[in-house]
Amino acid sequence: MSERLVTFPHMGEYWIAFETLTHELGATALVPPPMTKRTLELGARHSPEFVCVPFKYNLGTFVEALEAGANVIAQAGGGCRFGYYAEVQQAILRDLGHQFEMVNITGSWSVWELLNDFRGIAPGVSMPRVVRAFALALRKGKALEAAEDRVRKNVGFEAERGAHRRVMTRFLRDLRSAGGFRDIARLEERVLGELSAIPLDEPERRLRVGVVGELFILMDPYSNHDFERKLAEHRVEVHRSITMTRVIEHGVRSRPHLRALLREADPWLKHHLGADGTESVAMTWRLMNDGFDGMAHLKPFGCMPEVSAMSALQRISREHTFPVLFVSYDAQTAETGIRTRVEAFCDMLHMRAKESIRA
Amino acid sequence: MLRVGLPRALLYHKYHVLWTTFLHECGFGTVVSPPTNRRILERGVALAVDESCLSMKVFLGHADALTGRCDVLFVPRHESYERGEQLCVKFMATYDIVRNTLPDLSLITYNVDVHRGVDERRSMIAMARSLGVRAGVARRAHAHAVTAHHAHEVELARLQQSVAEAPRQGELRVLVVGHSYNLSDRLIGEPILAYLRALDVEVFTSDEVDKAAARRTASAISPTMKWRYNKELLGAVDLYRGLVDGIVFVVTFPCGPDSLMSEFCSRRVTGIPMTTLVLDELFGEAGVRTRLESFVDVVRERRRREQLRDVGP
Repeated sequence: MSERLVTFPHMGEYWIAFETLTHELGATALVPPPMTKRTLELGARHSPEFVCVPFKYNLGTFVEALEAGANVIAQAGGGCRFGYYAEVQQAILRDLGHQFEMVNITGSWSVWELLNDFRGIAPGVSMPRVVRAFALALRKGKALEAAEDRVRKNVGFEAERGAHRRVMTRFLRDLRSAGGFRDIARLEERVLGELSAIPLDEPERRLRVGVVGELFILMDPYSNHDFERKLAEHRVEVHRSITMTRVIEHGVRSRPHLRALLREADPWLKHHLGADGTESVAMTWRLMNDGFDGMAHLKPFGCMPEVSAMSALQRISREHTFPVLFVSYDAQTAETGIRTRVEAFCDMLHMRAKESIRA
Repeated sequence: MLRVGLPRALLYHKYHVLWTTFLHECGFGTVVSPPTNRRILERGVALAVDESCLSMKVFLGHADALTGRCDVLFVPRHESYERGEQLCVKFMATYDIVRNTLPDLSLITYNVDVHRGVDERRSMIAMARSLGVRAGVARRAHAHAVTAHHAHEVELARLQQSVAEAPRQGELRVLVVGHSYNLSDRLIGEPILAYLRALDVEVFTSDEVDKAAARRTASAISPTMKWRYNKELLGAVDLYRGLVDGIVFVVTFPCGPDSLMSEFCSRRVTGIPMTTLVLDELFGEAGVRTRLESFVDVVRERRRREQLRDVGP
């Protein structure tokens, strides 16, 4: 094979970290074109009809990346259907006539196995180099998440529209080219400083809403139709605990993490629900008890771990009159529908807040 | 005597011999919900989260049907039977789903998660012990239950195999592939099997194959598929593809594992007609019949041509 051109699924801005990882491993990254309607159309056309929608986004992304010249696809896996994505996608793409190598990064969730899987991206690479590549990519992910967390919390209150976006655009550009740990740390410090300096138009009391659910839909603004921003725009402080780097950390230390989650979710769950289901319940319960005004639960249509979580979430919502907005995404989900539902949800939250002040 | 209620749904269809033998030998009475009927289905649909699969809706309907008819409801929780293997995540959640959906029911449960070192034997015995059964009795009950379960499974597989190897009874042979809880369900699978038979088709099912052999062959065909029960289905396809003229997949909407497995099958198992029937709570019998009829027509035509070819001009 000629030069290895490695591609990967899109998810939010994490392509910056994947690109770094690939590059540091000594291979060339082919960042797939940004997802568009065409991506989903391609994905949906060649996918099984009622597979969860992340499968379709991933597949469409791969087709577009292969068209752009990629010849190696790195696909991850998880504790649900996600664990079987790679093999079925490989079969579909081969049947479409594409020539490529599939690298399956499932890691079976120990650090060692995960690092070993990364070697598939650039065969023959030494372990110390893999460790450094992973650490650097993880560091970029952390910096990205620190900035995004700040944006989620404050963007709804910016005095001048677009101020956060401006800072982030520059940050993402610089983060991409940052070459070492020290550069990333400096960048992170700078962006957090700049974000803090943005003038805010503060209300008397901020409404706070947590976002939980299935990880891909949760972390990918394109496929969730920019849910978090839409929520924030209604003057809401948005909190999300699931991030890519946390998913990895929890994955490699799954036992203690699950134990802690189950301790927290105890009134509602005795056992782990699979994938992120347990986390959705534990977080909702924690944030409700922390005095949050509401929760949003996002998932692909038919996502079984999250459907299981819903039986507990609906009960929490019912028994504690706690607002939870349930949103399901499939290939037909329209942005307008999401906009309307977010708007109605936020109106209700603002009304509830006003009433509780009066009372 | 404690009356233990068993919903006739999901894994009951797979483990009923194991469960009832164990519970009876522990000295409990058992009450099994009636075969699925429209009322049970409607209750299940009303109780379940909308996007649950039809099989889970049916299960909740059965759990609800046992309200007031038993002292405790028996809802085990299953995560894995072997290291590196998984089950559909709904089996990890069944217990908690019932607890949250029908909070007034009192439940008994045991957990199987071999991947994390929780084995069936210890869990079942611990459950019986917590209900006041003596350790020796519980241990013996489990040993007997396991023996009976295996004998039952082996007998089913042997019977079907002997029929498959015997001369044809009908004109056509079709393998119906689906989870046991779907194929054995009065409303979901049974009408399909019955209708195929009415079309003069000799019917084989994925439920009556040597499960261990099926799992082994499935791992060779699709190395990263981790779902134990789907391995049994994929393996059944491989073990029987040479013995039948067509394959019908029975899937309940929107089954996660099946959505991918049937896609994989249709791409990697070639040379035999296949069709997939996807059923949800709105399915009408007429639609299913039409699909089956046209499939059987295709299979029949194909077989006729093959026979002509074999005879030669």
